[in-house]
Amino acid sequence: MEKVLDIQNLHATFTIQKKDYEVLHDISFSINRNETVCVVGESGCGKSVTTLCIMQLLPNNGKIQSGKIVLDGTDLTQVNRKEIRKYRGKKMGMIFQEPMTALNPLLTIGYQMRESIMLHRGLKKKEANELAISYLQKVGIANPESRLKQYPFQLSGGLRQRILIAMVLSVQPDLLIADEPTTALDVTIQKQVLTLLNDLKKDMNAGILFITHDLGVVAEIADRVVVLYAGRKVEEGTTEQIFKNPKHPYTIGLMNAVPNVDLDEFEIRPIPGTFPNITEDIPGCRFNPRCPRAHECPLCVKEAPETVEVEPGHLVACHLAK
Amino acid sequence: MTEEKVLIKARKLKKYFPIAKKVNLKAVEDVTFNIYEGEKFGVVGESGCGKSTLGRVILQLYPQTSGSCVYHGKSIQELNPKYIQNEINKLKEYQTKATKFYQDSLQIDAKYEELMAQKAQLDSEGNANDAKKYDKISKQTAKLAFDSKELKKNASRQLREGSRTVGSLICCANIEEIQSLFTKAEEEVKAAHECLNQYYALKNKYDENEVNIHHIKTVDNDIAELKAKEKLNEEEEYQLADLEDIKKKVAALNIDSLNKENAELKPKLEALEEEINKHHEVEMSYRDKAFEYRGKNILPITERTSDPEYLAKLDENYETGINLNKLTKSEMRTIRRDMQMIFQDPAASLDPRQSIGKAIEEVFEINTNMPKRVRKEKTMELLTKVGLKREHYYSYPHALSGGQKQRVGIARAIALDPSFIVLDEAVSALDVSVQAQILQLLEDLSKEKHLTYFFITHDLGVVKHFCDRIMVMYLGNVCELAPSKELFAHRLHPYTESLLDSVPRLTIRKDRKDSGDVLQGEVPSAINPPSGCPFHTRCKKCMDICKAEKPKYIEARPNHFVACHLYDHKEGA
Repeated sequence: MEKVLDIQNLHATFTIQKKDYEVLHDISFSINRNETVCVVGESGCGKSVTTLCIMQLLPNNGKIQSGKIVLDGTDLTQVNRKEIRKYRGKKMGMIFQEPMTALNPLLTIGYQMRESIMLHRGLKKKEANELAISYLQKVGIANPESRLKQYPFQLSGGLRQRILIAMVLSVQPDLLIADEPTTALDVTIQKQVLTLLNDLKKDMNAGILFITHDLGVVAEIADRVVVLYAGRKVEEGTTEQIFKNPKHPYTIGLMNAVPNVDLDEFEIRPIPGTFPNITEDIPGCRFNPRCPRAHECPLCVKEAPETVEVEPGHLVACHLAK
Repeated sequence: MTEEKVLIKARKLKKYFPIAKKVNLKAVEDVTFNIYEGEKFGVVGESGCGKSTLGRVILQLYPQTSGSCVYHGKSIQELNPKYIQNEINKLKEYQTKATKFYQDSLQIDAKYEELMAQKAQLDSEGNANDAKKYDKISKQTAKLAFDSKELKKNASRQLREGSRTVGSLICCANIEEIQSLFTKAEEEVKAAHECLNQYYALKNKYDENEVNIHHIKTVDNDIAELKAKEKLNEEEEYQLADLEDIKKKVAALNIDSLNKENAELKPKLEALEEEINKHHEVEMSYRDKAFEYRGKNILPITERTSDPEYLAKLDENYETGINLNKLTKSEMRTIRRDMQMIFQDPAASLDPRQSIGKAIEEVFEINTNMPKRVRKEKTMELLTKVGLKREHYYSYPHALSGGQKQRVGIARAIALDPSFIVLDEAVSALDVSVQAQILQLLEDLSKEKHLTYFFITHDLGVVKHFCDRIMVMYLGNVCELAPSKELFAHRLHPYTESLLDSVPRLTIRKDRKDSGDVLQGEVPSAINPPSGCPFHTRCKKCMDICKAEKPKYIEARPNHFVACHLYDHKEGA
């Protein structure tokens, strides 16, 4: 299988008051063509920072310290600021959480769609218009011609998100990054968008990096899952491995915390404690103060756990997994 | 379910937002429900279904367009609202007006009959030349029929308004006597209210003394404890300074004199309690006397007043609680101490330039006349109750995480010991693990303080496991209302079903057994809601009748209410 994106040993830091704090520690994972990889974790775990690293959009106080981000054979960390613009949008497209803020309220949908098509695919206005219409049809929008003449405020949240998807796809990127694209939508509309993404995956010929904190969404859309906790990868595996055989206590805790509609009886069992701040220094495993099983192993408070492969493709960073 | 006490009774609540001339956004349409005491009542729906508006209408943050919302959590004595006396004074007026409207409508009916006879005559004569006259008569009759209907409606509206204060007694001939009896009862209420105020004033003094006694006993110890620590952080330093302050203040007080004062206050408090009870008894005796007239000397105000069933219906209207819509602004403010709200975005509901302690203490500052030290002590107690630390009194919102901020919101809501809390998507903005923590806190608090929740959310998983009863709303209308287990075991309304199908599950795709159907389309506009059943535009099981007629709200299974045409046939059969 062809790797679209390969992240190797990525370390990133944020500088706060002249001090460096590590926000991503040794993150590695890859995405194959026609595959959806979900990155899950609580807010502050570094999932959005990962996407910003890939897009090279880190804020000024953020820095990639080491590691490689290989997109289609090029290491993005080595590309300079001017060059990177050729990759953004064309090779990797991004869909954001809030579709209203991602669209310019002063320009029509048609203008915004044509702009990226003309820029990245070098087409004339007329051709670009036809292409835009065909992509709007692909994402299930009825009478696309009239939609092209409308402004973002005339459309509902679900439609806007569809238009953003069409806009990103029309450039035919190799990698589609979706940062919580359904969080701001209603459940019924969320289901529509997720079904759409699943349907499009076959003929898109790209890899999807899907960021979410909702495990239900993960089960719906992912082929493989990466679980992050406080800037560390704690577990990685296929969706089946993660959901049927979760190994890391954090993954298990996350699953238990979701009130499951299918169960008749459910006891709310939160993960105790609070999510650590990046400025906090926790010796050993970052999860140990909140881990229900930390007392089983003396190593947890002393040493950071190494990542082990418990079954083919299923990686866990926990002392207890061995 | 056992017989429970109703806390809030909402009847045909309606809320329209005017958008332009004669254009209304129909946010909430004829919603009727009861909320029982100590219950967790969940409301689910997509955005724009009116669930938030409903929550705010209950708290009277938005005035309702029509309908009534009666609150039973506070006795009338405690609040002594003005509207009741006004309503009593108006009883006679209601009665005369109702009579007048009805008599007028009868006159119009007579005219109508006359014209109809003329029309029949014209018909039988078959005189084609009189087409103009015929048309004129038709128009007139139509207008008369409409007027008569309106007048009759007005008549029963007057009776209904009156029945809110006295039940079916509104139809009695001796309304003046009833009026005077109720006025006397009302006077007793007022007297009891005054006693209560005195009682609270003394009670505050008593409580303050208790806190002082507590401080005198513990302050030295607390200071020593803090001083024993090697290094104090910023917050602990503040705490220490505070304790020193308290020490200075209590130094002038004598524990014995405080104890003595409280010993004197105690019998006074007890005496007041007794007096209040006495007033209440007298009040009830007046009411009982009035209600002895029930069903006697009924005036033939309208044709329905002779019907015992109608009288029973009027009796049902009799309000023992407080009609929130009729309160004055300041009365509503007092009652809002009992009815609190927690918002979705905890960050937006806190002032970034105000410390957490101040934000909570403000509640006491405005609503009570507790002295400063008591307020502070209470605030700190609250902080520990919601799972924060006493030191958080001195922190600012930016230093807290989302979950902690929501805890502050909860602390602020429960500060005055309310009985009813509206939670507007209170856990939706939080991460799953934090969400579970907050849900657990809410659950514990509800058990401890016997709180009633009105829980607004779009997350079916959360309501299923958190709420006792669930109401599903769509476009301002109630689709389904049932105990949560019942709702999930037998979902009746097609909307509930599609909503449930849309929820992301924790089972992976290939193990799924569901139909895989996706609810198509989006919620229509509430300015021009679809005719008939509001859901018919997206419903899989839509029938012809759904487009034409609004479904009735019926009890399809025990305790399980649904508004869908699929089920009225079953009931008819």
